[in-house]
Amino acid sequence: MAQNRNKLIELFIGNISNAIAHKILERAATKEILADKYRKELVNSFEIAKRYREKINPSNRLIPDKDAVYIKEKVIARVKAELMTRISKGYENIDLELIDTLTNKTLKDTKIIL
Amino acid sequence: MEIISKISKGSRMDQVYIPKNRAGFAVGDHVVIRLLEALQEKKPPEKLYFYGVKRLEPVKSGIIHEIMQIIEKSVANYENIFVTGSFLERGFQFNDIDILILSENKINQEIIKENIERKTGIKTHILILNNKELSKGLETDPLYHMILNRCIAKKRFIYKTKQTINYKFLDLHLLKSKTLSDNFDILSGKEKYNLVRNTIAIYLYLKKNKVTIDSVDKEIKKALKVNSQEIKSNVLNKKAFLKKYALIYNKALAMILKGIEHGSKQK
Repeated sequence: MAQNRNKLIELFIGNISNAIAHKILERAATKEILADKYRKELVNSFEIAKRYREKINPSNRLIPDKDAVYIKEKVIARVKAELMTRISKGYENIDLELIDTLTNKTLKDTKIIL
Repeated sequence: MEIISKISKGSRMDQVYIPKNRAGFAVGDHVVIRLLEALQEKKPPEKLYFYGVKRLEPVKSGIIHEIMQIIEKSVANYENIFVTGSFLERGFQFNDIDILILSENKINQEIIKENIERKTGIKTHILILNNKELSKGLETDPLYHMILNRCIAKKRFIYKTKQTINYKFLDLHLLKSKTLSDNFDILSGKEKYNLVRNTIAIYLYLKKNKVTIDSVDKEIKKALKVNSQEIKSNVLNKKAFLKKYALIYNKALAMILKGIEHGSKQK
């Protein structure tokens, strides 16, 4: 059971990280792209993360501090890694300061932190 | 004698009310109820333009004509109407009807959607674009090519756009398909297919190949050794499939990152 919960937390982290990285890259490339109306129907990482969150107990209130700290640290590290890969290739206008803000907001929205 | 009246909703049965003071139609007479529209002169169905659709079931053809009429009645100015997506595939395994309305004006798509769903009983997905958005989409996005390569249009259309590769744009789109590997077990067959199709379309586009539904399905078969139906039916061998999928995803990502690197060096 405990293993299941850990697996769900890892899957939640993966999807939330992907969603945040996507948001930051979207802002970095805003001027060059048009609204992606066609892909609105593609299942997105945030929606999937919410599916996992519902399965992580307690689902309707905050999770224990220890787990929350772990999730936050791991999400920040993952997003940073995803973005750094691009920065190292010369991708410009990526605002790394957004990682903290968006992580906090997203984790609040999913009842991980207050 | 004829009376025109409207069907009204009742609690147990619906009814047609007629005036109490009338000449004829006595209580107890049997009458025929018929749709008013059916009595009006029927226009021959308008010619539609088929692109990449070899065969279409007559029932679907009728539905498309009806859809076009509904939109025409609701939208005063439009450039074109396209029906696309799984509805045009053979058989009846579609989930919804995808409609693209090309117009420069503001359109209330909710009303159109409701009307179509009420008349056809099929879930409808409407997308409204203006000319600028469509041409920008065709210029940079493989998905637009794929969609307009198989469609039924109200008016004849020709698109010729210069194909440009915007690596940042493709990077964003490809990132969406990263979800597939981590979440294989939780995704439905259709969700998996859409994510795979997105990756393959980007991959072909980067290689400057033609992106059509057929070419994407062919590449799926070639690179992933499964056919599209197997993905949609969710009957994949997870380990073997994900191994091949990771290979193609990483190839596409490497091409994109190389493109971004090359672009930044040129500045």
